Amino acid sequence: MIVAALLVPFVVGFVLIVGRAHVPGRTAAWLGATAMTASLVLYALVWEGAEGVSGEIDESWIEPLGARLHLGVTLVSWPFVLMTAFIGLLCCLWLLADDTPPALVGLVLVVSASSLGVFSSLDVLLLFVFFELALIPMWFVIALWGASDDSSHGGADPGLGPRNGARSAATKFLLFTVSGSALLLVGIVVAALEGGTLELFELRPTATALVLIVLGFAVKTPIVPLHTWLPDAHSSAPTVGSVLLAAVFLKLGTYGLLVFVGPSDHIDVVGPYLAIAGAFGIVWSALACYAQDDLKRLVAYSSIGHMGFVVLAISTGTNAGVAAAVFGSVAHGLVTGLLFFTAGSMKDRFGTTSMSAIGRGLYGRAPWLAATFVLAAVASLGLPGLAGFWGELLSLRAAYEVGDVLTKPVAWTALGLALLGVALTTAYFVRAIRLVAQGEPVAHDADRDLGRREVVVLGALVAAVVVLGLAPQLLLDLFDTTYGSYAR
Amino acid sequence: MNIPVDWTVAGPATIVMAGALVGLLVDAFFTRRTWLGSGLPATIALVAAGAELVRADSAPYPFAFSLVIVLGSLFVVVASNVMNFENAMPPGEYHFLLLGASAGALLMVAATDLVTLVVALELLSLPSIALVGLRQGDERAIRSAWTFFLASVVSTAITLMGISLLYGVTGSLDYVVVRDALADPDVPDSVVAVAVVLTVVGLLFKLGAVPFHVWIPDTYGGASVMVAGFLSAVSKAAALGALLAVLAVALPEARESWQPVVAVVAAATMTIGNVGALRQGDAIGLFAWSSIAQAGFLLAPAVAIFTVDGLTAPVQYIAVYALANLVAFAALAVVLRLRGSTRLEDLRGMARDDPWMGVPLVFAALTLAGFPPAVIGLVTKYVVIRPVVDADHIWLAVVMGVNVMIGLAYYLRLVVTLCDRPDGEQYHSPSPPVSVRIAKSTVLLGTAALLALSAWPDLLLSHLP
Repeated sequence: MIVAALLVPFVVGFVLIVGRAHVPGRTAAWLGATAMTASLVLYALVWEGAEGVSGEIDESWIEPLGARLHLGVTLVSWPFVLMTAFIGLLCCLWLLADDTPPALVGLVLVVSASSLGVFSSLDVLLLFVFFELALIPMWFVIALWGASDDSSHGGADPGLGPRNGARSAATKFLLFTVSGSALLLVGIVVAALEGGTLELFELRPTATALVLIVLGFAVKTPIVPLHTWLPDAHSSAPTVGSVLLAAVFLKLGTYGLLVFVGPSDHIDVVGPYLAIAGAFGIVWSALACYAQDDLKRLVAYSSIGHMGFVVLAISTGTNAGVAAAVFGSVAHGLVTGLLFFTAGSMKDRFGTTSMSAIGRGLYGRAPWLAATFVLAAVASLGLPGLAGFWGELLSLRAAYEVGDVLTKPVAWTALGLALLGVALTTAYFVRAIRLVAQGEPVAHDADRDLGRREVVVLGALVAAVVVLGLAPQLLLDLFDTTYGSYAR
Repeated sequence: MNIPVDWTVAGPATIVMAGALVGLLVDAFFTRRTWLGSGLPATIALVAAGAELVRADSAPYPFAFSLVIVLGSLFVVVASNVMNFENAMPPGEYHFLLLGASAGALLMVAATDLVTLVVALELLSLPSIALVGLRQGDERAIRSAWTFFLASVVSTAITLMGISLLYGVTGSLDYVVVRDALADPDVPDSVVAVAVVLTVVGLLFKLGAVPFHVWIPDTYGGASVMVAGFLSAVSKAAALGALLAVLAVALPEARESWQPVVAVVAAATMTIGNVGALRQGDAIGLFAWSSIAQAGFLLAPAVAIFTVDGLTAPVQYIAVYALANLVAFAALAVVLRLRGSTRLEDLRGMARDDPWMGVPLVFAALTLAGFPPAVIGLVTKYVVIRPVVDADHIWLAVVMGVNVMIGLAYYLRLVVTLCDRPDGEQYHSPSPPVSVRIAKSTVLLGTAALLALSAWPDLLLSHLP
């Protein structure tokens, strides 16, 4: 079933890219949505319970290296998989328009399917292949369909015309990620040689290997100070590109940290650095957000903060930390996806995402759009009752309990920084809400409320955010009944 | 005097040489100097040499390198049809020199004593130099041939110096006897160190390793594209095969002398090659510099030559590297013939408006970069890093990782240029003559092989030693 769930989006995506001249945009988007629905349903059905591996497939692949085609979903990966397939489906629905380029739908499918492949690989080499496979399609999504109205980071190659900004952002993204994955490759080789296996759950990286692997995933997550590719890439990408980057791509990093660092015997080597870097990232990104005028850049920086919570949770090495990291990742995927979709709606209307250009008083001009934006923003700042809250709360709790990996001064320093970050996050989101939604309405020619397509996509995400916020035990019960009941 | 000849070793090379002579004679007596007249005997000779190679069943490592050389030469001969009807290129001489060089390459990897090695090295070098300068009335080609000649002669002289020192110390030129003699604790270490390093220099030159790499961009740029392909794939395979044989069979006792040298040279080679490639605006220049960087990757596992995978890894790497590089050079040769330029801005959008040449080029670049969907490239990168880690040269492994990244930077630049939206008017590929179609078919066959290997890497990894 997993093979089918992976092959369907890959094949449909490939066919759409090759046959882009012969398929109308709307048909392509419907095809893509169908493929992602099939994948989502198959992944949902494959679940066999929290114990062990569901839907396992184990075929020989490269005998001399000991690499196998080993696929399956586990407790940790299943929530990631469902979230990815869901977001992929919504991206296809978002593209339901006559002027949609079919190739873009195809690339979205390939990117989603590669990410699904990463989450379902139980063989490290296979995981790495999927990890890399998603990068080039993403470059094209950003570079060919991205638009950058920010000239401050363009101009690397003057011969390339108006897409300079998007193109250099895409290249920056690619080079950063690729340098991470080069270190990751070396780390995997070291770990595989010393462990004598490429099986994900038997691999026990040594300290050297672990440092290399963590550096590799740190670029992707991203952990401050390796985050500089992110704001440019997110803000230059088209709406679906930003959504995929934030909701799915960053999760490749956190998932990698979860499966490699979490069970490692040498987590104490990297744990303290991860905790401090994560907590520092929360504060740093909040301060950076405060200075943003561009809504997409603001959301991009806020992602770094959310990833900081997840990294902090992982660094504790406790069961609570794992639950917090998975919940935080999934919640961030949904909430940030929602934020980028609303930002995309504004971009469709006003041609820009600059908050000063959009003008104030969106409540009066497009009430449903404004309400959705505000809901997404408060979910992102961690309002209780919405999905964002539980991830942050559980991370803070994991840090408070210290665990076996961190020492108390380190954990509590990180805790203090994170709490400061929570306050700052609230401040900048309130500022954004005030700038865009509230105030005296300034009428704009392009004011109009949500269309049918937007209602479906945004509505689905709002429902998911609210459900996960009100009933976090749906996800947390998988991990440990203690935390499930605590959340209740 | 009776000189013993081991025909399992010399057989394929002799067949190739005979094919070279037949081709030259056919060309001399067949007044219509067509490409096929000498190309056909050359093709037949290479196929026969391949069959003999498989039949003779020699030792696994020389066999693998010889197979790469024979198949690589065959690829070059067939793809060289692209030069048909180019009046400046004499077909008879071309095929004669090409086959002479491949015979030299075959002998080089099969050599078991140092004199055979030097003779084979010369048999490979001299026709190669002539090949580079063969295009009549092309001043740039002559200049490139001169550079190549001077660098080649100097490095051979240094190697001869090293070999004579080795002979002085050990009293023999046979690999096995040299090894046993070096095991004797009485041999003076300092002389051995000098002798070993000097001996290795000549082979490093052929491989194009830093600091003997400067001839490569100049020579590749001046030579015909397929000759550059030959130098980058076949000549490099021969140099690597001979180098590994010398290091593993003749000089294991002197490993303290050469191991650090090889490690540093490998690291420097891949770094300098990659940095050079970053600045190239022409696809051929890009592949020339990238082939320097790839030589570093080929050389790196030599530091781990005594681990389980130390010899296997470079064999598997060169097989994939040679195939991908030949596909790239053949595609560029066709492009140069049809479009008249291989500058990157002239190639923009080629994967869209000329997919039959653009897509193979993309796939070859991805293979060389080690980037999915070209899984085989990634797997061979893994394969060469593994023994280096196994031998505890973690720093070298990290340098390799960083270089994989730098390499990606320019390969992906080529890939995105090829896949970009074409600007200007739509390019219509002309209906080319049959000879160009033959060259195109080699590109497609090579790409099909790369695709098959990517889908099923076991095909290569389980069957090469």
